[in-house]
Amino acid sequence: MQPNAGRDTVAATFEVRRRQYLDEDGNAVADLPAAARDQTLLRRIYRFMSLSRALDAKFVSLQRTGRSGTYAPAYGQEAVPIGLASAMRETDVLVPSYREGSAQLWRGVEIADLLQYFAGSERGQAWSAPAVRRDLPICITVGNQALHAAGVAAALKYRGEDAAAVCVFGDGATSKGDVYAAINVAGAWALPVVFVVTNNQWAISTPRNRQSAAETLAQKGMAGGIAVLQVDGNDVLAVHDAVSEALARARAGDGATFIECVTYRLQDHNTADDSTRYRDPAEVEQHRARCPLRRLRAYMQLSGMWSDEEEQAMVRQIAQEIDGAVERHLDAAGEGAQAMFDHLHAELPAAYRGQRAEAVRRDHG
Amino acid sequence: MKAFLFPDLGEGLHEAQIVEWHVAEGDEVAADEPLLSVETDKAVTEVPAPWKGRIAKLCAAVGDTIQVGDVVVRYEGDDEVATAAATTGRHRAGPVETAVRPSAATGRVRAMPAVRILAAELGIDLAGIAGSGPDGTVLARDLAGALSRPRRGATDLPSTVPENADDSGWQPLSGVRRSMARNMERSRAEIAPATVHEEADVSAWARRTDVTARLVRALLAGIAAEPALNGWFDAVRGRRLHEALHLGVAVDIADGLVVPVLRDAGAVDARHLRSALDRLVEAARQRSLAPGELAGATMTLTNYGMIAGLHATPVVIPPQIAILGSGRIADRLKPAADGPRAARILPLSLTYDHRCVTGGEAARFLRAVIASLEAAD
Repeated sequence: MQPNAGRDTVAATFEVRRRQYLDEDGNAVADLPAAARDQTLLRRIYRFMSLSRALDAKFVSLQRTGRSGTYAPAYGQEAVPIGLASAMRETDVLVPSYREGSAQLWRGVEIADLLQYFAGSERGQAWSAPAVRRDLPICITVGNQALHAAGVAAALKYRGEDAAAVCVFGDGATSKGDVYAAINVAGAWALPVVFVVTNNQWAISTPRNRQSAAETLAQKGMAGGIAVLQVDGNDVLAVHDAVSEALARARAGDGATFIECVTYRLQDHNTADDSTRYRDPAEVEQHRARCPLRRLRAYMQLSGMWSDEEEQAMVRQIAQEIDGAVERHLDAAGEGAQAMFDHLHAELPAAYRGQRAEAVRRDHG
Repeated sequence: MKAFLFPDLGEGLHEAQIVEWHVAEGDEVAADEPLLSVETDKAVTEVPAPWKGRIAKLCAAVGDTIQVGDVVVRYEGDDEVATAAATTGRHRAGPVETAVRPSAATGRVRAMPAVRILAAELGIDLAGIAGSGPDGTVLARDLAGALSRPRRGATDLPSTVPENADDSGWQPLSGVRRSMARNMERSRAEIAPATVHEEADVSAWARRTDVTARLVRALLAGIAAEPALNGWFDAVRGRRLHEALHLGVAVDIADGLVVPVLRDAGAVDARHLRSALDRLVEAARQRSLAPGELAGATMTLTNYGMIAGLHATPVVIPPQIAILGSGRIADRLKPAADGPRAARILPLSLTYDHRCVTGGEAARFLRAVIASLEAAD
């Protein structure tokens, strides 16, 4: 401001808090929340994070051998989807992007469903588990789902349900108009929604420092007048705790929260990407040491909740589980082209009926 | 033998070059173990083994370029299975030979939507085209050869019937109906039509007056009073008015609409006019008109009133600029100084191309036509 700009006073002040419980080696850096002592919960969290990582590897392998379509691994950022899913209730609604498959698994989607989905089958999103029946399908389009989540939250509020929507998108999505519009309406209407930004530092090839001049992505929520928080996105306790708190706030009628989880994408954006073309491998190596699985496992071992034997048994069990699902996926019969119509609308509009009939005719002709 | 077909590693990849083999023939491999590295136009990518087993044959060498769908390796064993080159449908397809490439003999035309639209616009039936794309897919360039062939449709417009509609019951257009369709479509596309309606009181006519002969005479009188309606208009060349009236006479035949031309109607002796008209109508019905008898009209007369109809909006056929429609003569009450009287009324409908004919010209022409018609025989 110019010195002669008038009598400037402070109109408002803001600050962005950052939350962390565990350091990279699993040591507590603060008083731990109750969840940190819930052995059953932590074992389940660790198991799903491990499942996510093993499934990523299998997906890439299937894609490279022509048995899956394009896939986006969550390798290195598993604490975000599992941290938020473990904080949700069955009645809450998950509104995911394409990198939260593990959160969907936590809520009852089956591994074979995800395999089917990424192989292009419409059946992959025809889930039956009660918790996921209301969850939204994977949103491939960047950031659109923030508006869907606001709409879901508006409906939950209108119906007076004791539930909230949890929406996940990446750092790139925070530059899009849909996300700003969703933040605004969430604030204006005090909607029961939690926006979770998985800030993995890279929007395909666009680094975080070129994505936005904002010091944190969390502060974008402030413009909409909603609660914001930045968390260490590789600390699953911090993610779980932050999302639990935000959901409690939403259910209490105190409105929306915008949570930035700072993590790192250790692999390519997806199977059609080659990140060595735009990213220094040294940077990746530096982040590898901050792995969220390693951190949680270290904490659990230090607390006597986990042993090497249990680790080995779990790894074997997960491999069997995945192999079984892959078998079922590969043995699944092909699906007619009419499936794309069958899973699109509750009742097919007249305009598509002819196209569907044509698809059936071609498949059987 | 189990075959691993080279998959699309990216999104729409067609080929890749082999950079390195990580296994040799005879090696025992585990599923997901590195098999080879390839360089695509996007990246150097490691491709894992799809199955556990012993490698029988490496089907390409380092430096070779392999296409999506090519066999990369064969495994030992009796199972005749192959991976799929694409992710759609079954992932474990049947015998290698049928799994490698989609059959071209499915009888189904393969074409992108844009090519289908282009073909429809050009009136080309895709079924008759040999596609030069993958698996016989018809490409835009394949349509060029088909353009010289006769078109499927009557006109240049694309079909308005949904592609998947019931295809039975359609009759291809005959020559006469096809030319009607083309002429009417052209008229609608090119001219700016305006229609003026009037009535002529023909109470003074004798009982057996030849209506058509009177109309021809009236048109000649109209042209004498206002020549601006007898001729042609061309958007590029301008207006060409004619001294002589070459009158097109609309004739309704079973096959459609035919418009033979009465040459220089003004030069035809009144006594021979009827027989000249009869000969044209008969020749039209017999389809024995010479090509010259169908061309060169400078104005058209359509006498639908012989069947039914009072007023109409007749369609001008370019390059002509006017058409007179004559309706059914009907008895009406007409006010007069000594009270209503019965009158015989002939309704007239004149359509003109407003691009070159003014409303005033049309009205003056019509007034002269009526004056001629209302005169006693």
